[in-house]
Amino acid sequence: MKRTISVTINGRRYEEDVEPRQLLPHFLREQIGLTGTHVGCVIGECGACTLLLDGKLVKSCLLFAVQADGKEITTIEGLAKNGALHPVQEAFVEKYGFQCGYCTPGMIMAAHALLQDNSDPSEEEIRRCLAGNLCMCTGYAQIIDSVKEAAKKIKS
Amino acid sequence: MAEKFIGKPTRSKEGPRHATGCGHFTDDIVLPGMLQAMILRSPHAHARIVGGDAQSALELPGVMTALIPSDIVAHTKPFKPGRYAAGLRKPIAEYATAVEKVRYMGEPVAAVAARDRGTAEDALELITIDYDALPAVVETADAMKPGSALLYEELESNIAWKGGLSYGDIDGAFKAADKIVKEHLKIHRYSSTPLEPFAIIADYDAASRKLTVWVNAQVPEVIYDALREALELEDIRVIIPDIGGGFGQKIHLIRKYVVIVSLLAIRSGRPVKWIEDRSEHMMAAGHSCAQEFEVEAGVKKDGTVLGLKFREIDDVGGTTSTLTIHFTNKLNNLVNTYKVQNIALEGWSVLTNKCPVIPNRGIGKPGMCYIWERAMDRIAEELGLSPIDVRRINLIRPEQMPYTTPSGNVYDSGDYPGLLETALEKIGYDKLREEQKRARASGRLLGLSVVIGVEPGGRNAARDIAIFPEMKESPGSGGVNGATIKLEKNGTIALYLGSPNCGQSHETTTAQVAADVLGIPPEKISISTPFDSDLAPWGVSAANSGNNFHLYDIGAVHGAATKLKEKILAIAAHILRANPADLRIEDGAVRAPGSPVKKITLAELGKIVYGNQAMLPKGAEAGLQATYYYTFPHAEPNMVPGPDRKVRAQFTFSAAAHAAVVEVDRETGKVHVLRYLIVGDNGTVIHPNVVNGQIYGSAAHGISVALGEGFVYNADGQLLTLTLTDYGKSSTEETPKVEIVHKPSPSPFTTLGQKAAGEGAAIPSPAAIASAVEDALKPLGVKVRDLPLSPERVWNLIQEARR
Repeated sequence: MKRTISVTINGRRYEEDVEPRQLLPHFLREQIGLTGTHVGCVIGECGACTLLLDGKLVKSCLLFAVQADGKEITTIEGLAKNGALHPVQEAFVEKYGFQCGYCTPGMIMAAHALLQDNSDPSEEEIRRCLAGNLCMCTGYAQIIDSVKEAAKKIKS
Repeated sequence: MAEKFIGKPTRSKEGPRHATGCGHFTDDIVLPGMLQAMILRSPHAHARIVGGDAQSALELPGVMTALIPSDIVAHTKPFKPGRYAAGLRKPIAEYATAVEKVRYMGEPVAAVAARDRGTAEDALELITIDYDALPAVVETADAMKPGSALLYEELESNIAWKGGLSYGDIDGAFKAADKIVKEHLKIHRYSSTPLEPFAIIADYDAASRKLTVWVNAQVPEVIYDALREALELEDIRVIIPDIGGGFGQKIHLIRKYVVIVSLLAIRSGRPVKWIEDRSEHMMAAGHSCAQEFEVEAGVKKDGTVLGLKFREIDDVGGTTSTLTIHFTNKLNNLVNTYKVQNIALEGWSVLTNKCPVIPNRGIGKPGMCYIWERAMDRIAEELGLSPIDVRRINLIRPEQMPYTTPSGNVYDSGDYPGLLETALEKIGYDKLREEQKRARASGRLLGLSVVIGVEPGGRNAARDIAIFPEMKESPGSGGVNGATIKLEKNGTIALYLGSPNCGQSHETTTAQVAADVLGIPPEKISISTPFDSDLAPWGVSAANSGNNFHLYDIGAVHGAATKLKEKILAIAAHILRANPADLRIEDGAVRAPGSPVKKITLAELGKIVYGNQAMLPKGAEAGLQATYYYTFPHAEPNMVPGPDRKVRAQFTFSAAAHAAVVEVDRETGKVHVLRYLIVGDNGTVIHPNVVNGQIYGSAAHGISVALGEGFVYNADGQLLTLTLTDYGKSSTEETPKVEIVHKPSPSPFTTLGQKAAGEGAAIPSPAAIASAVEDALKPLGVKVRDLPLSPERVWNLIQEARR
């Protein structure tokens, strides 16, 4: 039995019929067509599906699509404006804060949320805030550099 | 060639798409009418399959097709035993699913395809597979006992293979030795757990009998061969989109699922997608092999190693298809950085009811480095020498390069003493030893280590002939991979690579090389993705494995760009009435020197070569496209092993010294990595950020492996580590900061002096951590022999020492 939900995604409103058991990232990827939100575990431990729900950082695989009813979602696709990369995205590109790219959208969303709360995080704060986002490729060094660079970019 | 871009941190080609969520991963692809597949897996570690029924599942609305073992036997053929199974005494038929028995928890037994994921999940519960449970054989020691339950009755033993090799005069060396130093070492099961699990789409065009698969596989040949063998198809197209991490995990066992998903597509007449979930990946996608080593070194009083011999027992899990990979890879770095002349190795591959083993970042090489570096520390201890001095006296000297090792490897270049001394200097070794004295006096457990290792690159397909000279089917020899480059009509350049990549910035790096050859900025070069076997110029080395990229792909791109440049200059010379040797490509045009008018833009040239025959030299080939298949020009000697079994296992040799400073918490056993420094020789560095990224990532993995990540089974063969958290993957909080110093010795044999960087720091880092932890625990008299050094194990070592 499908249910109708109303949800605003990256500033655009959608009314959609969803199955109650559909997970939020699958809804975004398969029904809305926003494939930037990746799925790496579906139990909330890898962070690949990280996005903003009503401005708060969440691991979307821990939510059903119906739980997003009436809420606002920002996904990785909502950061760049008119083709110009968001400063956090630009910093990740410049500093090679990615390798295979699979954790990257979630990592950037987590970094973006961190920098919204704290414009000048220490390395320790960056490490603590990104601890819920696993990356198997980079050893995190260039990701941490990217977040530092993003903070600089946003400040200037 | 003016090097304007090689060596510089050019802007990433892949970065913008990944940073915006626009990467092209397999799961992002949707085909019309596509079904979703789910796989049913064995709950047993060991059981006989006595029946199966999918009728109820097939009756569920939305279910389009299902497979049980009898369907697999009826509609597919077993895989041919590949080179990894060359040592098998009797042929063992391995199908895509289990057919008569299951031999590990999670082994695929059935599959279903339905119109949506939910229906497919529901349908799995309606498939019945009947089992007669058998005793699980979990530990190699139990598996080898006479009377143990057998995984393959036809082999009459769980020891599926035994073999050995010897180079030099090992008996003579041990006779001449002042002392024999013995050690027993163990490395556990782990994986690189790529964040993107296996992902496959299969689409079969019944009218033309053409099968197209999209798959995140690292080696197209494995997929190609598997489909030909299992489904007996000829027309196969393998498309490899962006891969969300590989590390070897996506080379071998993924072929089973490609066959299952393809058969579902063939039977349903619909495209079928299958996305593995995390727990499936942990239980059945493959593990690095648990290895046990009995090591003996014959040494002189001054620490010189005259001979080394070891027996290796590999826990190869529940299939025979990757029986010997961890042993055969020991040939790649058999003497590590040392000048020992006599070496003997013996391997035992033991079957257990665990997940099959697969390649993982370096395969057996971290084990070989672990043998050497643990042995060096033990030799130093037993002879009362400094572990640094024992390494120093045994290192191959830079003036001996190129150096032929006793097993036939030819080390291209390297300054191993220089790497070691630089590591000592940069870490501040002497000062740290002083600090350690003070720390010990106050009861702190501070440890320090410096280890060294080679990182081989560029695979020689003939290697395993050295171990299995009786091999019936030739595995090939040397290596081949290609690249195609094309001047487009509008003057831009398109480049088609011969292999897929899983995060090593192949597009960025190859654009740098082509840019320098052609005199065109990298942003004007577009790299065609995804990898498509119908279009890509691929050969045996088209593998995101074996550290192949730097040798074969860079060589091929350089060759193709050089050929294209010659063609461009020849046609431009005809049009400009100039001598090709006088022309140069600059700012998007071919120019004659000293004449501002004598030029033709690449866009004008594009128009001519694809559409204006009258302007072309008579008889010349139209178009401007070049394909180049690279083979390593210095592959002799020892490319194909002769009776002396000498072989070039790989062709280039990067190296690095690793220094680690750790502190052990006496109360909890937790190891804190205070500093980790790598002095690396990766030859000519084409892109510093890319190479550093490989070093950081491989070091982080090796350190995490050493400190506790890994798979744990219970006595029934049930895997207990089904999640990344249970498995113990390191996050930003546990991963130490790694310091990198480059000290390159460019290879005299490769196109640009480049060497490998992909497996890198994963090879020496387990040894570095083990050595540092043992050093920290020295006041307690603890010996570190087994990995991982989880808090529990370290705590137990401390307790045992107190007793």
